[in-house]
Amino acid sequence: MQEHTQLSHKQINEDLLKDVLTVPKWWLPAVSFLGLVVLTGLGAFFFMMYHGLGVTGLNRPVMWGVFIANFVFWIGISHAGIMISAILRLTQAEWRRPITRAAEVMTVFSLIAALHTPLMHVGRPWRVLYWIFPYDFSRGIWPNVRSPFVWDPSAVGTYLIASSLFVFVCLLPDIAILRDRAKKPIVKKIYAQMALGFRGTPRQWKLQILAGILLSALVLPVFVSVHSIVSWDFAVLIGVEGWHSTIFAPYFIIGAIHSGVSAVAMLMALSVWLYGLDKYIKPDHFDAIARLLIVVATTWFFFFFLEWVYALYTLAPPEIALRELQAFQWPYGPLFAIFIITSFVIPVPLWLFKRVRRSVVWMFWTTVLVNIGMWLERFLIVIPGLIRRTHMTFDWGTYHPSIVEILIVVETFAFVCLGMLLFAKVLPLIPLFDVKEGMVNRRLIKVGRRVIPATIREGLPHHYYEKKQ
Amino acid sequence: MAKRSVLGLYSEEDSAADALDNLREAGFEEGDYEILTGVPYPEGTFGEAEPEHKLYRWPLIGAACGFTIALLITAGTELAYPLITGGKPILSIPAMAIIMYEGSMLGAIIFTIIGIIFESRLPRIFMGAYSEKITEGHIGVTVTTEETRTDIAETALNKAGTDGEIIRGWE
Amino acid sequence: MVNNPGDRVLEPYVETDNSVETRKAVSDGLLGIHNITSNRFWQFAALFGIMFIFGIVGFVWKLSLGFDDKSTWGYYVAVFAFLMTTSSAAPMVAIAPRIANSHWRRPISRAAEIWTLAGCLNLILYIPLIWLLPSLENGRRSLWFYGQQEGVPAYSPHIWATLAIVGLVLLGLSLLWLSTLPDFAVLRDQGEGWKKKWGGKLALGWRGTSAQWNWQHHRMGVVGAFYFMMLVFVHFFISVEFLMVHVPGWIDSLYPITHAHNALQAGVATVMLTMFFLRQFGGYKDYIGLDQFWGLGKLLLALSLLWFWFWFSSFNVFWYGGKPSEQAVLELLVKGPYLYLFITIFILVFILPWFTMIWNPVRRSVWGPAILATSVLIGTLLDRIRLYVASWDVAGRSMAKELEMKMQDVPTKIQTPGYEDIFIMVGFIAGSILIFMLATRLIPAVNLWEQKEMLLYKAEIQFHRTKVTVMGKSR
Repeated sequence: MQEHTQLSHKQINEDLLKDVLTVPKWWLPAVSFLGLVVLTGLGAFFFMMYHGLGVTGLNRPVMWGVFIANFVFWIGISHAGIMISAILRLTQAEWRRPITRAAEVMTVFSLIAALHTPLMHVGRPWRVLYWIFPYDFSRGIWPNVRSPFVWDPSAVGTYLIASSLFVFVCLLPDIAILRDRAKKPIVKKIYAQMALGFRGTPRQWKLQILAGILLSALVLPVFVSVHSIVSWDFAVLIGVEGWHSTIFAPYFIIGAIHSGVSAVAMLMALSVWLYGLDKYIKPDHFDAIARLLIVVATTWFFFFFLEWVYALYTLAPPEIALRELQAFQWPYGPLFAIFIITSFVIPVPLWLFKRVRRSVVWMFWTTVLVNIGMWLERFLIVIPGLIRRTHMTFDWGTYHPSIVEILIVVETFAFVCLGMLLFAKVLPLIPLFDVKEGMVNRRLIKVGRRVIPATIREGLPHHYYEKKQ
Repeated sequence: MAKRSVLGLYSEEDSAADALDNLREAGFEEGDYEILTGVPYPEGTFGEAEPEHKLYRWPLIGAACGFTIALLITAGTELAYPLITGGKPILSIPAMAIIMYEGSMLGAIIFTIIGIIFESRLPRIFMGAYSEKITEGHIGVTVTTEETRTDIAETALNKAGTDGEIIRGWE
Repeated sequence: MVNNPGDRVLEPYVETDNSVETRKAVSDGLLGIHNITSNRFWQFAALFGIMFIFGIVGFVWKLSLGFDDKSTWGYYVAVFAFLMTTSSAAPMVAIAPRIANSHWRRPISRAAEIWTLAGCLNLILYIPLIWLLPSLENGRRSLWFYGQQEGVPAYSPHIWATLAIVGLVLLGLSLLWLSTLPDFAVLRDQGEGWKKKWGGKLALGWRGTSAQWNWQHHRMGVVGAFYFMMLVFVHFFISVEFLMVHVPGWIDSLYPITHAHNALQAGVATVMLTMFFLRQFGGYKDYIGLDQFWGLGKLLLALSLLWFWFWFSSFNVFWYGGKPSEQAVLELLVKGPYLYLFITIFILVFILPWFTMIWNPVRRSVWGPAILATSVLIGTLLDRIRLYVASWDVAGRSMAKELEMKMQDVPTKIQTPGYEDIFIMVGFIAGSILIFMLATRLIPAVNLWEQKEMLLYKAEIQFHRTKVTVMGKSR
């Protein structure tokens, strides 16, 4: 990082804990508003549960609508957190320090939002237990292990538990700081219980660092598998045009990284604006994440191009007809154009300019555009294929999401924002010990008239170099 | 006899390292004293011994447990309800492999977390001698010893130049 | 003493050892190793030379047999694909860490870049394939949707694949030259004899001005990025036009990416093995250290795990649906005559690297990663044989013109190689190694200027009671 503000431990504690130990003025109105939206969404869900799925736009042949598109979208967003955290930890990138926890927490809440969408979608959520939980509830019927719908909960459940535990373990040192800084006795006691007695011995710090590396290495394969498995909900089916493509697994993952990293960039911008964290999240951080986004977006575009090329490669008339529906026919044609423009055509050329990459405002709005585009991408994968699913034209249908579906989808967005705000009220979104470690390890190297930022590197232990090979 | 802990606070890393030297000279063993810091320092900064741990066993044991449980669940449920779906065999290895993989990873991760907490010697019921100044940048050196030796410990800590504060606590 | 350490704001300066004497010592040390050519070197070069001559004999023999029976060309195309997979992907080990500003790549980036010269040999292997590849007029599937679009030339695949492969080789040569410019200048100034002469010609007046360094850095970044994109495109064309289109019903949208990924894995393994030999036998023990094996070892582990993921993504989608054409493709490539070969590949390329490289002591050693790299390379060669021999076996049969293959059409035996195929395989792999070895006589195998540049950014300092390394990043 060329830009840097070197701060003392005391200053870091004050800056990053002030919004945890006190309540910012805007916090209560924001939480109230988001809470209201969540309650409205839940109300819509209970209405749907009472009256049945007929109140939605779902009907034969479009059995899956915006609920499933939304599910895939939130699974996608959840991927960035662990990716940013794990890959940047493993590559020892210094610029990750202020960003990792917010990204990890966003993962957890996105996963919960993703999980509750299909639960709502099934109409009678308690019945999901019968076909997922490995128990003979009635008549000797067990879950069908060969179904992707049984792979899904195993994968998403594993990822949710892994991410939550990852966040908790890496929070321990910061909970210890809160335990020491909290004034009210009851609050102090709660933090003390949560901190499990963490004191900061060399053993505990070594295990914290190992935890970061080992858990990153363990969670990364899970991260790859989760969205692959979600993509196989579509790809393994031969009945729906446009779904049976082997590229779905990496295509969904790279799309997830694209939308997720964009969401992290949005989070960074909001942290700077709402919490005044411009001393910690610098234009250099936005620059670094924008460069990552250029690579990810270009790779995603290549996968998208491959998916289309192979659809046409099949020379199958139904497949080609579907692509014409997706790209050229109302209402999917305009949506397709918006999707391409917002997810690639506008943001990526803009990110090539340094001024745009280093501007908080530009990064926020370009990443908002990306996420609009990526939500539409999931919509365009799910619905058009189903509209022409069967070969009997009398079974072709249309799909219009109802107000109930829209309210529930909006509820998921409000849920994630609410979750993040509540988390940020109780625990710091920027890892204090990680930022302090960066300050302690920072050095400067003079090269002629120039000063180069440097950092202490933990490479191999020194006895490895002394050993003869 | 009950053990007591004594904590000295230092503002410089070298002073804390000197305190460890003084404690060794006074006859305290490696396991009797500990450094407390609010931020991770490179290993060996204070001349302390490299902490040994067996963390790497935990993910392996967890993966083995998770793999076994997932295998039993998948194979067990498939054999308990032998309905052929989609023309696939009853024991379909690709499908089972996915769930077994997730089970192994879940087992590995859960056991790793337990291992991290266990190897960190947590949860710790009593904090012993501890100061809130540690999370504000001070470096603490804490000695856990019999009550009769606490004065020796205090002398050794003071010799390195504490910030004028010695805290005593129960272990 | 600071009264309240909570208020301390530290940012100490660090001195690096960047004196003229140290830089000269690094330069002289590397040049000294570069100028030594042992007898053992020439013995091995002679051996590879003889094998290469056998390869040329096999090549001429193959051409004399004609292009009519496509089913006998599988091994030839497999060797071409293998060399493309290994030598063309090796420069990525130089390009990607350079863009990420990782210092551990410095001693090995030159060795990675030199492998691009083997691409010139691969061009020779490619030429007969232009005649071998059928035109679009036989009605097969292709990327150019011939039959759907009017005015598409029947030889579009030939034109585009040729342009891509030639482009890749040219980009690779440009990258090598750009990276070696400052070292050619060193040879011009401090070399002797023919190295001085050729160093002078290739240095093109390099003086080391700020403008030249900035230009070089910028161009290497741009050429590197284009090289990566071109590499992906080349693998796209090869995997589709020389592999998938010949098997009716093999519609695998992931496969071009899988092919490119396998290339990255094999490229990393190639560089790993190269740096092992350079360290153990080339005299570079003080420059190629455990950090390089550790860094590449982690990469090889990740890429080996990804191998399984790419394979399983394709396999699962094909297996699950039960479509007859897809089941026939699986029977051909995995479950049928190539089953035991597939199991061997699975073990060499995935199981062995996974179960060994997850252990830190293996990753943090010299022999461990080197042995695993050998395993990966053998597995990749066998994998190319499995896929290309199977594909061209089908290409030579009458049902190749259909759009879908039936289970009863799947060949029941592996196509065996002829003597000319064995000569070509052994000879051209030996030829690639020979080109690398001969190239290192002029081009220093360890980058001099990058090693000297590291002196600016690296320091070992005393940190209270321990020693630590401090690394800076300039950009």
